[in-house]
Amino acid sequence: MDDHGDEVAADFREALQDLTTNARFEIVTLTNIARENANHGLAISEVLTNHIKEAPASKTLPALYVLDSIVKNVPTPYALYFGPKLYQIFMGSYTKVDSATRRKMDEMLKTWKEPVAGSISKKPVFPLELVRPIENALLAARNAYMQQANFQSQQHLMRGRPAGPPTRDTPTPPMGRAYQPPPHGQPPYQGPPNGQYPPHGEQPYPVRSGNTANGTPNRATPPQPAPSAGPYAHYQQPPNQGPYGAPPPPGINIDKLKDDIQQLIELDRAEFAQNMHDASKQNRLKALLDLQKVVQSQNLPQEQLMIINDQVAKLAVNMRAQSQPSTSSSYPPSLPPYNTHTPTPPAVSQQFAPPPAAAPVLPQLPAVLAAALGRPASNVAPVPVAAAPPPPPRPATTGGAAPGTLSLDSILGQGALAALLAAKKPATPQQTSTPVPPPAAIPPALAALRSPPPQSMPFSPPVQQPAPAPAAAPSPLAQNPSALLAMLRQSGLLGGTPTPPVIPQAPPPDPNIITLTPASLKLPRPHLLPYLLDALGPPCSQCGRRFPTTEEGKKKKTLHMDWHFRVHQRVAEAEQRGQHRSQFVNELDWIQSHEEPDVDYNAPSGGLSPSGSSDDDNDWSGGVGGRGRNKGREEKKRYIIAPDESAAEGGVNKVCPICQEKFQSRYLEEVQDWVWMDAIMVGGGKRVFHGTCWDEVNGGSQGAGHQGAGYQGAGGLPLLGKRKADEGDGEEEVRGGIKRMMR
Amino acid sequence: MSIPGLGQIVAQHAASAPATRTITLHPFSEWRFQISPTSSATCRLLTGTAERDGTELAQIKTYNLTRCRSKLVSFTGATLEITGEFESENVKHYPNQADSPFVSYLNLHFLLQARRTQSGNGHGPRVMVCGPGASGKSSLAKMLIGWATRQNEQPVLATVDPRDGMLALPGTLSAAVFATVMDVEDPEGGVGVSCTPSSGPSAVPVKLPVGYYFGREKVEDDEQLWRDLVRRLGSSVRAKTGRDQGVRRGGVVIDTPAVEWKRGEVKVKSEDGEEQKEKGGGVEGLMHVIREFAVNIIIVLGSPELEAELRRQNNKTPHGEPIEIVNLDRPDGVIKQDRQHLLSSRKALIKDYFFGDSKRALSPSVQSFSFDDVVIFRAVDGKFPRAWDPISANMDKGLDLDDPTLVLERAEITEEMSHWTLAVMDASVNDPLETIRQAPVIGWVCVSDVDKDRRRLKILSPVSGRLTRPMVWGRWPEPYVNLLG
Repeated sequence: MDDHGDEVAADFREALQDLTTNARFEIVTLTNIARENANHGLAISEVLTNHIKEAPASKTLPALYVLDSIVKNVPTPYALYFGPKLYQIFMGSYTKVDSATRRKMDEMLKTWKEPVAGSISKKPVFPLELVRPIENALLAARNAYMQQANFQSQQHLMRGRPAGPPTRDTPTPPMGRAYQPPPHGQPPYQGPPNGQYPPHGEQPYPVRSGNTANGTPNRATPPQPAPSAGPYAHYQQPPNQGPYGAPPPPGINIDKLKDDIQQLIELDRAEFAQNMHDASKQNRLKALLDLQKVVQSQNLPQEQLMIINDQVAKLAVNMRAQSQPSTSSSYPPSLPPYNTHTPTPPAVSQQFAPPPAAAPVLPQLPAVLAAALGRPASNVAPVPVAAAPPPPPRPATTGGAAPGTLSLDSILGQGALAALLAAKKPATPQQTSTPVPPPAAIPPALAALRSPPPQSMPFSPPVQQPAPAPAAAPSPLAQNPSALLAMLRQSGLLGGTPTPPVIPQAPPPDPNIITLTPASLKLPRPHLLPYLLDALGPPCSQCGRRFPTTEEGKKKKTLHMDWHFRVHQRVAEAEQRGQHRSQFVNELDWIQSHEEPDVDYNAPSGGLSPSGSSDDDNDWSGGVGGRGRNKGREEKKRYIIAPDESAAEGGVNKVCPICQEKFQSRYLEEVQDWVWMDAIMVGGGKRVFHGTCWDEVNGGSQGAGHQGAGYQGAGGLPLLGKRKADEGDGEEEVRGGIKRMMR
Repeated sequence: MSIPGLGQIVAQHAASAPATRTITLHPFSEWRFQISPTSSATCRLLTGTAERDGTELAQIKTYNLTRCRSKLVSFTGATLEITGEFESENVKHYPNQADSPFVSYLNLHFLLQARRTQSGNGHGPRVMVCGPGASGKSSLAKMLIGWATRQNEQPVLATVDPRDGMLALPGTLSAAVFATVMDVEDPEGGVGVSCTPSSGPSAVPVKLPVGYYFGREKVEDDEQLWRDLVRRLGSSVRAKTGRDQGVRRGGVVIDTPAVEWKRGEVKVKSEDGEEQKEKGGGVEGLMHVIREFAVNIIIVLGSPELEAELRRQNNKTPHGEPIEIVNLDRPDGVIKQDRQHLLSSRKALIKDYFFGDSKRALSPSVQSFSFDDVVIFRAVDGKFPRAWDPISANMDKGLDLDDPTLVLERAEITEEMSHWTLAVMDASVNDPLETIRQAPVIGWVCVSDVDKDRRRLKILSPVSGRLTRPMVWGRWPEPYVNLLG
């Protein structure tokens, strides 16, 4: 038992170390792990406490959010475990983080004084006697500081701090600041909304408890910023709640839900008023009204409420997303939601047209709800839902949700699953053949990552909120990216770029008219500017590099996004490993290196050694070409990337033909892949031998590397893309030649 | 109440809360900013396009800036959201767009681009940027590189100004191919030493430099060595362009030390405003660069006199191409780098080299070596004016200064060596001294402590392992006393 606890703790520690951003998904997962292993709660809480204590400042906040999430979702036993240490944990973190993080922590602290929203229990997250000392300490520190500080800043603090702006009175963390897309493309875990993440499908933000009374009318009006709608949008229930069967804390507040719906209806009405002819809006409104009726008239079980609630939350988000320009967090007063889309070509309205299981598709609301409701109902307790038609068969394209199970999809909508997939496998084209509008819940950046090239939207700057339009549009427009681009611009999603300059398709006007004279150089030539900007294609949202919208450009862009993704992953891994500055290369290596964009960059270690094995890496002498390098070391470095199983079936032998031993796979840090050490490919890459065996048989006079055609090809030994894999004598010659040349 | 650091941060809180501002840039406006090494700021491009030194910013992405004096320019107009503390920041707006120096720069780029296109498989343009101090040479060089990279060219950026330390520590002449975006967040504008490879991944593609250690601040401190190293660098770049077609087409942009030429007298002016009068060195040095790199386009910034002098001297490249020279106005708003700032950025670079920057924490190793385990050379003294060499007093007087092969000597390890950075050369300790002297540098180590009694020294090194390479003890950049603590 104890051993098991240790394992859990160790796993948890590892998982924590990987946590670098406040990604909702990861935090939810960690919360679930904590929930399942509540019997090892003490160990887990210790691990987490230590992690928070030791984590670098940048990782502290995510870790604290994990604590927050765990305590709010699994108060027993974790609140007890963390309680006594709360002061140290909080203050320890507070002293090491920067001011922005401190603000977030303040917000979190505030939520601890209140009951988990939606929970029946009226007890605060942590007993007040635990939270108070922290507050007092912070206050005292501030006061102490203020005594030194000038009066002005004091006033500022008085105004700004303890009372906080009005929005902060809610248990909601103020999210008014524009939300930045997380680098990993995962929806962020935005702050610790009190009880927002729980499996018990909390009310979506707009209708959070405390505010219901006054929330309805003005919330629905455009000018109300509803600041946190966006971030919350990403917050969905943990995917595995159902299967795990964790006892859902009783929590759906039906009043809240009703309010939510009411607000949506209000919002929708406003839109509808703006645009009477839009059938989709009409449908949607009707759907909402139906839903309202169902909710009001039926006594639905929690589980179903949860689902409805979820859907409603998404709807709310979508509407806000649409009504919010990408960069500002307030409604443009004159633009009612959805209006931005009215001028878009008919293709767009397809998003509102029937099925693809994406939950947020509005006209289908009743059907979708029914689908969602029907399924769990069949599992748990069938409850007739009056207004809902029988659950339609789920389209096969929904990511393989097995019928009859409470799938990710049915809980979260397709979006969540897709988001998960996207987080795992960016830029992998979907296997589905039918063009399924990517679920609206995915931020476009993600959609871009997972969409097949033609619909890859990466040129849309990361939009704050999930925006159904860009996500759904691609199918009809897939063949015509420029139309899509135009559409996006038109809809204001591709903000910023003023009307794109007319880019002549013809070759550029002869720039030779520029001569190298001051007069000619000083002449403004605005018609050339686009060649550095829009004519290069839309920029990558991560680094601003532009890619043309041609086939080739798209391919490159896909590679490029892959590269970003891999690097993001590896950065996190590398942080734990410890890194060091690499040696600079010598002339020969530099001359032979080749800058290749979007190829995994492996530090040029150990000078000429193509594998850059760690031996060399750790030794300044590594760079001295072939000098004094002994045979044994070279053999260690021969390897090929281990062929995967299927390839091995197809011809590559798994056993060395000479010694009849199997090749052993091992993970080589430098190439980030599994390799067969001391293996070489001979004869067109079909036969693999042990390097040592091969040498023995062939007299060992020639380095096998020279013959092995696969030796260069197999590795993808990626120093700047292409590296010469010479070793030994040959290298000395080249080197000598160059040296001579240089002198 | 004593929670360490709390008061201070609350202050920042108070100060930074109202500091989120939105800046609107009209087309061709510049946003100029200075951020002190101790503070940090962020910048986000909300709409439009903006770029730093030729590299575009991605929209919405938050860029963290620190320790830099730079500018963002927008050609199409932009709105920026900035937060944080700035020493100063302002928007420079040109009522008439044609007044912006960027008009000339852009035209220059398009001209170079046309030359690249024309070159076919031949050599792209070799451009030397020169001019007096604080005339925006480095910025222009970076811009030309950045723009070329955006158009999928792979140009070489070379610097022969030992002060800069492009992708290297100061005191180094270096070159690198730029085929990928530069790091906008880098204080040096994408050419700082933190943009060089480390054992881990980097979110912005790293650049791979080749560098030669000069170890002095000014060219005239050891002009012969400088010329030798320029020749080495030039031939490496030539070999590179000869081998790689993309690089050949991309051409070379060379950043040079500040040279001022007025009324028949050359003043070599250091960037920190300290004037050094020299006889003839500056232009001769430039001529050397022109020959070694086969420069065919010379951009002079803000010095018609220098332009005239170069015109007088030049006519053809070694290949018989005509050399074109143009003088562009010196842009206003180039910040005169004061001594203090230069010193602090040198220190920051050294620190970045060993410990990484905010994006990438590196773990250097501290090792102890016996005096006998390491081979440290230093330039033979006495060939150079003693006035600027504080160490010359200890020199062994018995040297034969006339021996031309005696360019380096084994340095005696003393406490004076503490805190100096030594260059590790790509050579063997048994190589001829001249070879060692001109060898490329493969890294640096820092002597953190010398224990004369036990004959051991502690060395901070980016990688652990034996130090079998010869090391060279330069005379610049100055020791960094607090590097380890």
